[in-house]
Amino acid sequence: MLEIKNLTKSYGDVVALDRFSLDLKKGEVLGLLGPNGAGKTTLISILAGTLRDFTGTVTFEGRNLFSDRTLKNRIGIVPQDMAFYDDLNAMDNLLFWGGLYDVPRADLKRRAVEILDLVELAGRAKEPVKNFSGGMKRRLNTAIGLLHKPDLLLLDEPTVGIDVQAKVSILDIIRNVGAAGTAVIFTTHQLAEVETTCSRIAIMDHGRILAQGTFDELIRIVGERDIVEIAGDFAAGAFSEALRDMAGADVELLSVADNLASLAVSDSGRIPRVMDRLFQNKLAVTDLKIQTPGLETVFLKLTGRSLRD
Amino acid sequence: MRRLLLILGNDVRRHLKAPWAIVIFIAIPLLMTGLIGVIFAPRSHSGQLPPIAVLLVDQDKGLASKLILGSFDVDQMKKMFQVTVTDEVDGARRMKRGRASAMVVIPKGFTLDLLEARPTTLRVVKNPSEQFLPDVVEEFMATMGVMLSGAIQAFSEEVKGLRLMLDGPVERIPWETLGPEFGKAQKKIAAAAKYLNPLLIGLKEEETKAAGAKAQSSMTDIFSIILPGMAVMFLLFIVQTLMRDLLSDREDGKLRRMLTTPVRPLEVIGARILGGWVMGVAILLIMVAFGTLVFHVNWGPFGFFLLLVVVAAFWTAAFFALFHALVRNRNQAGALGAPIILAFSLFGGSMMNPEVMPKAFRAVGIVTPNRWFIDGAALVREGRFPLASLIVLLVSGLVLLALAVPTLRRRALV
Repeated sequence: MLEIKNLTKSYGDVVALDRFSLDLKKGEVLGLLGPNGAGKTTLISILAGTLRDFTGTVTFEGRNLFSDRTLKNRIGIVPQDMAFYDDLNAMDNLLFWGGLYDVPRADLKRRAVEILDLVELAGRAKEPVKNFSGGMKRRLNTAIGLLHKPDLLLLDEPTVGIDVQAKVSILDIIRNVGAAGTAVIFTTHQLAEVETTCSRIAIMDHGRILAQGTFDELIRIVGERDIVEIAGDFAAGAFSEALRDMAGADVELLSVADNLASLAVSDSGRIPRVMDRLFQNKLAVTDLKIQTPGLETVFLKLTGRSLRD
Repeated sequence: MRRLLLILGNDVRRHLKAPWAIVIFIAIPLLMTGLIGVIFAPRSHSGQLPPIAVLLVDQDKGLASKLILGSFDVDQMKKMFQVTVTDEVDGARRMKRGRASAMVVIPKGFTLDLLEARPTTLRVVKNPSEQFLPDVVEEFMATMGVMLSGAIQAFSEEVKGLRLMLDGPVERIPWETLGPEFGKAQKKIAAAAKYLNPLLIGLKEEETKAAGAKAQSSMTDIFSIILPGMAVMFLLFIVQTLMRDLLSDREDGKLRRMLTTPVRPLEVIGARILGGWVMGVAILLIMVAFGTLVFHVNWGPFGFFLLLVVVAAFWTAAFFALFHALVRNRNQAGALGAPIILAFSLFGGSMMNPEVMPKAFRAVGIVTPNRWFIDGAALVREGRFPLASLIVLLVSGLVLLALAVPTLRRRALV
C-alpha cells in the first residue's frame, strides 16, 4: 500500500532522514520506535505533506503521494499537538475538520456521531473542548484523524502526557483501526505500547531504520537468553574457576571482574544451579539481577544508547 | 472555494462564541465619541457668552451711582449682564455661595467725590471659581470709570452747578448764576453730539468663513467629525485581533493539520484575509448604524460612504496579513501591533483634528489609513465622492496584499 524509498531530508547540516525506506501493507500497524531526534516526526510530516525539500519517493498504491491532492482524503493524521479549536465543542470541531476532507455533507454528521462514540466522547459532544481533560483532548485529536475513514493513519506520539486509562483507550482504537484494514504508522517512545499494539516494529535512529520485524523477530537479534548480573565478595579468578565446568551452550560467562560478573543463561532453570555452585565454593553473593530479553535490550544493542537518552 | 468558505465560517462562528472583545472594541469608540462630543461641542447655537451674574451694592445712592445702575439697564447690557441690587452683607453671602461672577460696590460719597474731582474707588469683588466672566465685569467697570472720569473733567465748570444743587434745598440755589453754566454745557453737548451722533466709528459683528466651512457647528457636526476617526482606529484594533488566527494556528499546529487535508495554503490564507475584511466591514457598519441612531451623525451619501468603508476594511485586512506574516509570534504581534495602531491614530488624525496638528505630524499622517479615511469621510459628508482616499487605500492595500500572500504562503509551508 505505502512504499517509501530512499527518503532523505536535511535541516542544514543535520540529516533528519537518511535514505529511509519502508513498505507498509493494508491493515498493518507499524510501531516506529526511536529516541528524540531519530527522525520520526520528520517522516510523519513528509508523509502528511507539510514538509517539502526532500529527496526520495513515496508511493501510495503505486501513485506518487504528493502529486495528487485528493490522495490526502485517504490519509488521516493525528499530530503530536492538540490541533483543534478549544473554543468550539467536540461536535463542531469534528464537523469543521471533517469538512476540510471531501466527506459528503450528508455523511459528515452521522460519521461524527459514530466517531465520538468510538472515542467515548459521545456524552460530551456539545461541551466546549477547553473543558476537556488531557486524555479527552487526546481522544478527540485521534477522532479527528479517523473521521474520514482513512486508508492510512499516521499517529505522532498520540499517548504523550495522558493517564493510563486514556492511553489504553487510544491503543485499543489503534488496534481496532488496524484490524479493520487501515494501515497505521505509530511513533512512540513507549516500548510497552508497541509490544502490545503493533504487528510490526521498526527501530530507527539518526534517520534510518536499524532493524524491523515482529516483536519475536527483533528479540532474536539479541538472542533469547537471560542476562544475569552477580555482585558479591569474590575474586574474578575464583569466580571463573567455580563455574569452569558449567560453561557451555547454556551458560556463557560474558564478563568477570572482582566482585562483579555477568552471564548469559539460555535456560532460566540453570540459574539456581549456578548459585549453588558459587555457595559450594564459598563465594559470597550480595546481589543478583536477571534481565529477560526485550525491546529495551534490542534497542540498546542496536543503538548503543537507551531509548530515553 | 468550498473549503475557503468553511474556514471563514468557522472563524466567524468562533469569534461570535466569544464576542466580548469585539463588543468592547465597538463600544469604546462610540463612548469616546459621545464623551468628546459632549465636552467640546458648542454650548449654544449663537456662540455668545451666557449672561453674567453681577451683584451691585449701592452705598452711595447718588447721581453717579444711579448713572452706573442705569448703564446696566441699556438693552445691549441687559443681554450681557444679569444685575441684582443688594446690600454688602447679602452680596458677600451670595458671592460665598458662588451665585454671581462679581460684586460691584459703589462706596458712600461716590457722587460727591466725583463732583469735587476727588479720587474715589469702585470695588469689584471677583468669583475665584470662574475663569473669564469676573474679568469681563472688571473690564466693564474699568471702562465705566474712565468714561465717568473723562465726563467729569470735560464738564468741570458745569459740575460746579450740579454740586450747588446737591448742597441744600433747591430754593436757595441762585438760578441767575447757574444760567450761564448750563448754557456752556448745552454748547459742549451740542458740539459733542456732532461727533457722537451718529458715531464716527461703528462696530459690525462678523465671522470669518473658511472655504467649505459651515457658519456654525452643531453637536451633530462634532460627532460626525469625531466618529470616523475613532471608528477607523478601533477597526485597526479589531481586525488585528481577528486576524491573529494567522499566527495562533501556525503556533499551535492547527495550520499544519489543515495542510494535511486537501485544503490549499492559499485557501487558508484567503479565508483569513477575507474574514478580516468582511468582519471589518460588518463592524464599521455597526458603528455607522450606532452613530446614526444615537448621535444623528450625518455621513453624507451612503453609497459613497459604504465604498469608503469597504476599501478601508480591505486595506486593514491586507495590512494585518502582512504584519502577521512578518512577526515571529503572538507576543511580538501584541507588542508591536498596539504601538503601530496608536501611531497611525495619532498622526492620522483619529486622536486630534489634523488642522491643529504640528506640520510634521500632518506630513507623517499621509502614510496612515486613518488620515485617508477621515479625509474621505469629510468629503462624503459634504456630498462629494472621496476619489483620492479610495485610490490611495485601494492601491496601497493591493500592494500590501501582494507582499503578504507569498510571505504567508512561504511561512505556512516551512
